[in-house]
This record gives sequence, structure tokens and C-alpha cells, in this order.
Amino acid sequence: MQQTRDALILRLENAARQVRRDLWRALRAGGSGHAGGSSSAADILAALYFHRLRVRPTEPAWPDRDRFVLSKGHANAALGAVLAQAGFIDDAMLDRFYGFESPFAMHPDMKLPGVEMNTGALGHGLAIAMGMALGARIRGQDFHTFVMVGDGELHEGSNWEAAMAASHQRLGNLTLIVDSNRIAQSGPLPELVNVEPLADKWRAFGWAVREIDGHDMGAIVDALAALPLEADRPSAIIAHTVKGKGVSFAEDTYLWHSNNVDDAILARALAELEAP
Amino acid sequence: MSTTPADWREKSANQTRLAFGQALLELGEIDIDTVVVSADTQDLLGIRPYIARFPKRFLEMGIAEQNAIGVASGLATTGLHPFVCAYAPFITARSMEQVRNDLAYARQRVVIGAAASGVSLGVAGGTHHAVEDLALMRSLPNMTVIVPADAESAYRATLATRDIDGPVYLRLGGRVEEPPVAESSVPFVPGRARTLRAGNDLAIIACGALVHMALVAADTLASEGVHARVLDMHTIKPLDRDAILTAAAETGCIVTAEEHHLTGGLGGAVAELLALEHPTHMRMVGLPDVFATVGPTPRVRAKYGMSVEGILGACRELLGARR
Repeated sequence: MQQTRDALILRLENAARQVRRDLWRALRAGGSGHAGGSSSAADILAALYFHRLRVRPTEPAWPDRDRFVLSKGHANAALGAVLAQAGFIDDAMLDRFYGFESPFAMHPDMKLPGVEMNTGALGHGLAIAMGMALGARIRGQDFHTFVMVGDGELHEGSNWEAAMAASHQRLGNLTLIVDSNRIAQSGPLPELVNVEPLADKWRAFGWAVREIDGHDMGAIVDALAALPLEADRPSAIIAHTVKGKGVSFAEDTYLWHSNNVDDAILARALAELEAP
Repeated sequence: MSTTPADWREKSANQTRLAFGQALLELGEIDIDTVVVSADTQDLLGIRPYIARFPKRFLEMGIAEQNAIGVASGLATTGLHPFVCAYAPFITARSMEQVRNDLAYARQRVVIGAAASGVSLGVAGGTHHAVEDLALMRSLPNMTVIVPADAESAYRATLATRDIDGPVYLRLGGRVEEPPVAESSVPFVPGRARTLRAGNDLAIIACGALVHMALVAADTLASEGVHARVLDMHTIKPLDRDAILTAAAETGCIVTAEEHHLTGGLGGAVAELLALEHPTHMRMVGLPDVFATVGPTPRVRAKYGMSVEGILGACRELLGARR
């Protein structure tokens, strides 16, 4: 059993490393992009798409699929990398990042197979995911809906409208993942507008909360296996992450929220992200 | 418990907002995908009978319009057909980004029933007037914008949204009665204007509460020997280009009338079309570039010319200028 779990975690860690390599490749194709928030989300996205989500890459509109909404849409390079590795889209799509008339741009676009909603304007995804979860209930479907937000995104008040309504609706089929990398575009959140204590806030809004290290694959897998954290409550996984995780020069700095990526930078990044 | 036609007409009490609620009751019966989302507007749109009949296909989202639109978008992705009940001023201006991204950009099949539009909440003051909502909604690709003039139109428009692919903004009135503008036998087809009076001396193109006023104005003009065509331009988007261009060609004089700012609404839409395709002498009846004053709705309308007298004045001025 332990051996099986170790194998799973190793597989997911390798997948996540490939996601990071691919997202940097996409950023280079685009010439720039959101390395920080894409990299902080990579381990969780890998665990979702290569372990937890009930999806069919060759049938992206399968009605009973689990839903994932990337509300922090600026992490789209990571989502594209995951969708390519999972087989939703062709690997060559990663080289069309920011391309003219490409369905793979700065923010998720439903024209790309596997993307559930156009996002990127912050504070939208949670309400939409709630609608999906409510739709499952009304239609008698058993799929689970996941939504990932950034902690800086929680500045947007619309999140808290949704937080209040989702617990009122007792949506056990809804899971929020907060990619808490503590840094927004202009700097660290405590220097902008503080969002802590996050766990207390979600509990106060009626959610079941678990805090994890968002780069500890074992902790991610365990948290996803524990869903719903409490029956008849929406679950909030607060994942403590490092912005730019995996590439030292991009880690933990607002300067790599979004930045230019040339061949030299890509080479430095890939050197730190050795292929599995 | 099914409603008869007589029932819904009586219960709508000549108010488009209540006709919407009555139509939802029928939609609930004939389409199991119908789901109604409220933003603390259960009485405003007369949906308590729907809630009692279909409690599992009703969602109260509270005083949170942005959330209501996002939720509706998510519901639509699962194949449901959501109808959002809301106040026109708040669901448009406050939720504009959700309407734009989550509904229009994502092309979701969601209907917004927006009551208390225009200055129908006259005494509530400028915070509660929706006088730029048509401009906002009309600017969005994929959006259909409908302004029913009476309860019959509102009821039929609501039912007709079943056949519209994409979001629909249904602009509804407040507690002031909206008298019938046509016999119930007159067809109502979204996107196709209704000619309620024939005439070739000029054309009054109106929507919403101003349609009835336009008819009264046309009758007055007729008694003076001036035959005004009256178009009920209930669909602002997509605009019935043929009806407008034909009216322009056959009358040479166009007056638009709406309960909305003069910028960006029906008058703006007509002017844009005619400026490019058939430049025509026009006058526009509506709210000038001010926040409207406080007061009972008919008086507030009249102060800014949104009245029979205002329409008559615009028609006479235009005819005089043309002579």
C-alpha cells in the first residue's frame, strides 16, 4: 500500500515537473507571461488532472465529467501544460501561446478543449463553479466541481458573495483551492491589502477548511482524497505555495508575477527543472 | 395546478414584470431545464407562484447581483436554462463585468429579467433609475436585448427566449401599469418590429412604455391629418434593420421614443443605422444627459419629454423643419 502511494506521488511529482518545463516553454513561445502564479499552481494542477479529476480528454464535453475552473486565469500557461500532458490538446499548442488567433492565450478560453470557462478577470470563478455545482444537484449528477483562486484574487468582493451563498446552499460537491503564494502583481499582499487570516475567514463563511503545503504532493493527494472535508459543506483547501516555485530566480518575488522570457531565461529555468 | 391564459393576464395586472413571473410558471411546466435565480426579487418579478410550484428549480442568491450572474453562467454550462430575476439598475451596472464575461463572452443561454427599468422607481431617486442599461447591454456581442411594451409582449418574449442561443436582456417595467399596445392576436417575434399604426408622413419608433404614448400621439396627429407610422421596436438587438430602413425610405422622418438616456439606447441604435445606410431627419425622445429628478414616474417622465406631449412636440418640430 505504501509502495503504491509512493509510486503515485512520484508519478505526480514527475508530471508536475513536466508541467513546469512545459509552462516555461509556453512563456518563451509567447515571449513573456505569468511565471509566478503558473508555477505556484503546478503541483495542485498535476494532482487534479493526473489523479483526482474524473475527465475524458478525448471527450472534453462529457456531461458527467468533474469540472475545474481556473479562476486565477493568469496561470493559464500551467493549465495549458496540464491539458497537453493529459491529452486534451496537442502538445504543439504550447508553442502557440500568445499567438495570433490562438485559442491558447494569456487567459483560459473555452475554445481550447478542456477549458470550462473564460476566466482571467478576477473574482468570477467561484460563482461560476457554484453554478456548476448547483447544476449538478438540480440535474441529479454526481460530478464534483473544483475552482482555483489566487489569494490576491480574494481582494475581489464578488468572491465573498459567492462564499456566503455556497455554504448557505450546503454544496458538498464544491471545492475551492486557494493558491496562496502571498504575492500579487505589485508586491506582497501584506504590503498591499492583507488577506489573512484566510482559514478563519473561510470557516466564518461556513466552509470546511484544510491548510496544506501546496508543493507537498502527499499532502495534496490526501486533501483531495478527503473531499468533501465535511458533509454538506463546501470545502476550502488553502494551499500555501511559493510564487515561481521550481526556478530559483523566479521564486517568491512580485517581479516574476509576469515577465519577459527569452531563450537564455528559458535555458536557465529548464536547467533547474531537469526532465524526470 | 396549471394556469390558463386568462389567469396569467389577470395576474400580470398590465405590468411587464409580473407577466415575466407568470411566463416562468408556464416555462417551468413545459421545460424541465428551467431554473430561476433571484437576487432578493421574489415579489418584484412575481415569482412566488413559480417558487411554490418548482422549489427545486429555484435559487435565491440574495442581494448579490454579481454572484447571481456568475451562478447563472455556471448553471447554463450544465444544460439548464437560467432566468435571473433582478433590478435593472443593479444587474446591469453593478454586474456589468459578469454579464460581459460570464454571459456574453462565454455565450451562455441565460435570460436576465430586469425589472424596475427606466425611471419606474421614480421616487427612489437616481441611484435606482436604469437609464443607461440599454446602452450597456446593447454594446455586448452575442447579447439579445428586448424591451416589451406591455404584459402580453413580456409574456411572449419570455417564452420566446427558449429559442434564443445566447444571453438575453429582457427589460421590464415597475409598478406603473403598461396598457396593452396591441390585440393579443398580433404576433410577437423577437427581432421583428411590429407596425402598430400605418402611415407615411413620419414614423415613430418606440420601445417599452413609450410605445403606448406613441400610439396616443399618433391618434392625435391623425385627427390633424398627419399619418404617423408607429413601430414597436421591442427588440433593440438584433435591430430590425429592414423595418427601420423601410420606414426611413417611405416617410423621410423618424422620431424615436424610449425611457432611457438619449445616448446609446434605441435612438442611438436607429441613428447609427440611418447615418450609415439612409441618412434621415430625426428627433429623439428620451432622457437628456442628466440624472433624472426624484418623483412619481409619470411626472418624472413628463419633465424630460417622455410623454405623449413630448412625442407630439418632437413630431411637430420635425415635420415643421421638413416643410
